[in-house]
Amino acid sequence: MKIIIGLINGMLTSATPILLAALGGSVTYYAGIFNIAMEGMMLGGAFFAALGSYYFQSWVVGILFAILGALVMALIFILFAVVLKMDEFITGIGLNLLSLGLTTYLVRQIDMPVTEIVPIPRIHIPGLEQVPVVGEILSGHNLVVYLTLLAVIIIHYLVFKTRYGLRLRASGYNRTCLDTSGVSANRIRVSSLLICGVLCGLAGAFLSLGVVEGFTQGMSAGKGWISLAAVILVSGSPVGIAFISLIFGFTDGLGLFLQQDLPPQFTAMVPYIATLVALFVYSMRLKKKFNA
Amino acid sequence: MKRKILINLIGILLAFLIGAIVMLIQGKDPILAYASLFEYSLGKKFVYTLNKSVPLVLTGLSATVAFASGPVNLGQPGQLLIGALFAVIGGLYLKLPPFLMIPALLLLAMIGGALWSGIAALCKHFFRMSEFITTLMLNMIADFLTLWAISYPLFEKDANHPQTPPIATAAWMPEWGNLSSSVLVMVIAFGIIWWVMNRTTAGYEWRISGQNSLFSRLGGVNVSKNYVLVMLLTGALAGLAGGLVLMAGPHRFIKDMGANYAWDGIMIAMVANSGVFLTLIFGLFFAVLQTGATGMQLTALVPRELIQVLQAVIVLIVVAGRGYFETLFARREARRKMKGLAK
Repeated sequence: MKIIIGLINGMLTSATPILLAALGGSVTYYAGIFNIAMEGMMLGGAFFAALGSYYFQSWVVGILFAILGALVMALIFILFAVVLKMDEFITGIGLNLLSLGLTTYLVRQIDMPVTEIVPIPRIHIPGLEQVPVVGEILSGHNLVVYLTLLAVIIIHYLVFKTRYGLRLRASGYNRTCLDTSGVSANRIRVSSLLICGVLCGLAGAFLSLGVVEGFTQGMSAGKGWISLAAVILVSGSPVGIAFISLIFGFTDGLGLFLQQDLPPQFTAMVPYIATLVALFVYSMRLKKKFNA
Repeated sequence: MKRKILINLIGILLAFLIGAIVMLIQGKDPILAYASLFEYSLGKKFVYTLNKSVPLVLTGLSATVAFASGPVNLGQPGQLLIGALFAVIGGLYLKLPPFLMIPALLLLAMIGGALWSGIAALCKHFFRMSEFITTLMLNMIADFLTLWAISYPLFEKDANHPQTPPIATAAWMPEWGNLSSSVLVMVIAFGIIWWVMNRTTAGYEWRISGQNSLFSRLGGVNVSKNYVLVMLLTGALAGLAGGLVLMAGPHRFIKDMGANYAWDGIMIAMVANSGVFLTLIFGLFFAVLQTGATGMQLTALVPRELIQVLQAVIVLIVVAGRGYFETLFARREARRKMKGLAK
């Protein structure tokens, strides 16, 4: 029983950053942007979260800094891809590398001792905590985990139930049509990127103030790419993304669990192999649909 | 042509200007920094710049050939690592004289790289899995796989870090003074790639497929065969880069060996607009920057990691500038024609 609870908790922790970034990717996916900059935005968020938390000794400022940092990244994306009309793919790659370079450069200059970084607190839900099993699973998680759950609902509502969501999807479906109906598609695209920035910033904050304390070089470690795969696999649906992120998170937790029998390098591969398997299943399903 | 050079130069200058602003904010002297950068890499350490350019140009060529022909092969980092792993296995267990040993190991490195890109090619060919994500995932897997290989089966006894024992000296790339013969291999590889891309039917088919896949298919090009070929070739190029890094440099597989070259090839291909000749130029230019970073750190006390930032800024600004200026020129041209019509 303890093992199962441990696995589920590990799953939630690993799924959270992927899910948050993928939700951001989902919004830009509906807006019709080929956005591959989640990795860079997340990494930038992680660095600025640690920075804010260290300088102001407060995790609230840390989260604010993370969101601001990721928003700056999003603004750079907007400048190049929307304003200068540069290829979105090249912009994304360039931005990811800029983020990697910049955070590496800054972290070598600013010494942030791990002990002086204030992490985001865990939330213990009174009452529920005492309930066996259920309490252990539902209570005691990092604040961001609960925010993520909220974000899934909000993004789902935003995309499918609001006027903004309709315009968002129209922007991805037929940009010219949206423009001729009097709504600026570019404005929708810009706003979707900003939303993506906020969510990726939060994901970054969770990495450097939740999973571990402190920033290490390149700590996003491909999570942004996995979240991109998640978005593609479910064609952007926020609820689908939640499920697929949980599966990825589960394989990550499983990897840690397998560490007793396998060398750590192999267990670390598990999430990436799981992504490949998921892509394989997806393409098989597509093929069946195509042939039928 | 002149205009293209001008656009590239303006982009690079703008990027340097941004780098200078960053330095000024930190209270460093940008003119001294840039002067020492170029003095170091183009002056007394020019040979090292050439040596450094080998993996950059080769991974750049790999990405360039891929992007120009259609496949979005982003797997150079992983293919480089697997190539180096194959080379190190050959170097540890083969016993041959140098004139056979070096070609054999280079071949092994190319096979290793092609094998790794081949996995992605097969996934696409049989299951229609986008190579863009599979190559990225294979990068991460290669990272851990090589780390495991040098931590357990190939681990050097009593070493502090994960690393292999040194390869047989017969497999060390010969050096003239400080100039490594790997530069020669790079020049030959560049020549072959240039010839294939510009002077053969295969290269023509690849480029046409890259520009318009449907058109080339209607014209009778076997697109999916070419796809697999290009993936294997570009994987082999990246693998070759890995083998050469290992055989010219540390002569053993050490942890994080490929990390420095990881994405540089892709950046070079992007900034070179997938042109084979421009890839060579930008590969050399990035080598100048990376070698000069040490000089900049020594003389102007600007941390060498700034070059990483500078490279990304160069890519963004040069590519954006190219698009922007081209529209600007096209618009001016159109306006002139309009005036001519009005008369």
